[in-house]
Amino acid sequence: MLEISELRKRFAGGPDAPGGKVALDGISFAVRPGEMFGFVGANGAGKTTTMRIVMGVLQADSGSVNWQGVPLAYDARQRFGYMPEERGLYQKMRVAEQIEYFGRLHGLSAPAAKQATDDLLQRLGLTERRSDTVQALSLGNQQRVQLAVALVHDPEVLILDEPFSGLDPIAVDALATALQERCRGGVPVIFSSHQLELVERLCDSVGIVSSGRMVATGTVSGLREAEGDTLRVVVRDPAAGWADGLPGTVTVDGDRHTLRTTGGDDQEILRRAVKAGHVEHFGVEHQTLTEIFKEAVA
Amino acid sequence: MNGLLLIARREIATQVRTKAFVIGLLVTVVLVAAVSFLPSVIGGNDSYTIGTVNSQQLPLHTAAPDVEFEWRKFADEAAAKKAVLDGDVDAALVNGTKVLTDGEIDSQLGVLLQSVNREFKLGAAGVAIPPLEMQSVGADTRYEAARTGIATFLVFVLFLLLMQQMVGVAMGVVEEKSSRIVEILLASVRPWQLLGGKILGLGAVGMINLVTILVVALGGSAASGLMAEFPPGVAGLVVSVLVWFLLGYAFFATLSASLASLVSRQEEVNSVLSPLTMLIMGTYFVSFYVANDPAGTLATVLSFVPPFSAMVMPVRMAATEVPLWQVGASMAVMALAVLAVLKIGSTVYERAVLRTGARLKFGQVLRSR
Repeated sequence: MLEISELRKRFAGGPDAPGGKVALDGISFAVRPGEMFGFVGANGAGKTTTMRIVMGVLQADSGSVNWQGVPLAYDARQRFGYMPEERGLYQKMRVAEQIEYFGRLHGLSAPAAKQATDDLLQRLGLTERRSDTVQALSLGNQQRVQLAVALVHDPEVLILDEPFSGLDPIAVDALATALQERCRGGVPVIFSSHQLELVERLCDSVGIVSSGRMVATGTVSGLREAEGDTLRVVVRDPAAGWADGLPGTVTVDGDRHTLRTTGGDDQEILRRAVKAGHVEHFGVEHQTLTEIFKEAVA
Repeated sequence: MNGLLLIARREIATQVRTKAFVIGLLVTVVLVAAVSFLPSVIGGNDSYTIGTVNSQQLPLHTAAPDVEFEWRKFADEAAAKKAVLDGDVDAALVNGTKVLTDGEIDSQLGVLLQSVNREFKLGAAGVAIPPLEMQSVGADTRYEAARTGIATFLVFVLFLLLMQQMVGVAMGVVEEKSSRIVEILLASVRPWQLLGGKILGLGAVGMINLVTILVVALGGSAASGLMAEFPPGVAGLVVSVLVWFLLGYAFFATLSASLASLVSRQEEVNSVLSPLTMLIMGTYFVSFYVANDPAGTLATVLSFVPPFSAMVMPVRMAATEVPLWQVGASMAVMALAVLAVLKIGSTVYERAVLRTGARLKFGQVLRSR
């Protein structure tokens, strides 16, 4: 299990911010083996800073990162796979050579690195591009190579900063499948994204950060339950005052009245609605992650 | 193979495969070969064609063994005169008493003809004159021209290679920093491995260049006969040049890498390197001066002061005799300077290379934390 607890980080002030800027204000969460963790939050909320601290490219002021019960150290981190927010590849190096090179830097033997590279190229549909230089590839393909670099050493943990940004839907699916495979193999996967539907679809659990704090964390359904589901009733041309005494709020659009409520006796509400007019819609609506997110960071 | 060597190997492979490297090396080979043949092409005239009309050939070759003489016989003075004017012969000896030339005679040839003629006639009259014995009581200056030539050549080669590899290191550091590859790299290797591997790799590329230049220069000199004029101890000089290149390169490359780690864009490399560029230019000019005044006080003093010593000492060694203890002491001082620079440079690099954005200040980074 990867446990991040009470991370704090303040960046030294520049001319714009004399007192410095608090980037992390006590972030804590944990990711279990085989769990896919979606990291969401507005720009500047602290996602990238957290991931960089986990990967050791940035030092936290305080707090700890534990992997399998012990503080994460350099050697263990070598077995992590990392995709930084800003993509980094040698533009003039050939695709296969580059993936192999990073495999070897992570400690693979030459034949093992070659084998892993061939497998990944095959899986990511890059086999025909293996001898091209990275700069000759489309952005989507460069991103695939970047992912291959993060995956080549069969990492124990995956930390991916915005892996889906800038990808077309087909590439998104290919990447999602690759991540799910790793996840099923018992690898904890953390990724950040602004594409909340995607996070909702892929992730077992979600962490919402705002201004350097974790404001909500848990499974998507758990977060939903915490908020409660919304009952939505649409009645056409009801009698005036039909909803008096019922919980929730009514909005009127022409002759359509919509009642939204998170509590109350749904059967009673239905009876009242039927009596009042023509019921066009009656149903429970799950909150989307977008709604949960907006409420959480508000 | 550990991270350091993997990184060094990538640097070498990347550099060696570029067109710039291959073409650069070829051009260098051609230029160096040309330089080692040049002195024998434009050097002092060492062959003369002399015409004779009704005269005996003079034993000129005995008097000047380095010079080739070709003799041509003419039937009469008119034919000889025509040959002189056409440039077929440099001079023509008529009746053993008169020399025809086109304008003023080549001074070396004039002196030779006069003295050999006199000796020849005296010898015929039974007077033998023992030749004067030449003895130098000052410094051995036989090889002075060759020494200065070699020294100037070395200054130029060392300067070009140091400059080229130093800029290469800086560009590489900024490439990794600006593209953020450094974040992935540093998640799998230590900063000193990344820095060390880069310096090692580009140093090896520099060595390939240097060894090629030295081999072509020595081979060319041997082929052109220039080698005969070289002072003794050229082999020792070549070895010490390699050592001096390594020391100078380690010094400049480490500083270059740490300065480059302060900036995040390729466009800023030139300006951040400018203090170092000025230092290396200064070293070059000083060494150039030393090549022409190798025994002066400035030469002696600077051959102990890093980083000047990295170029001044090999130049002094080429241009004059330097006691071995001085070479050793100077190398030791330079090695200490390299260690100090490695310590400071790697600290700055380690702290700055992950801090992208605005240009950082060397001193601030060094003092931070």
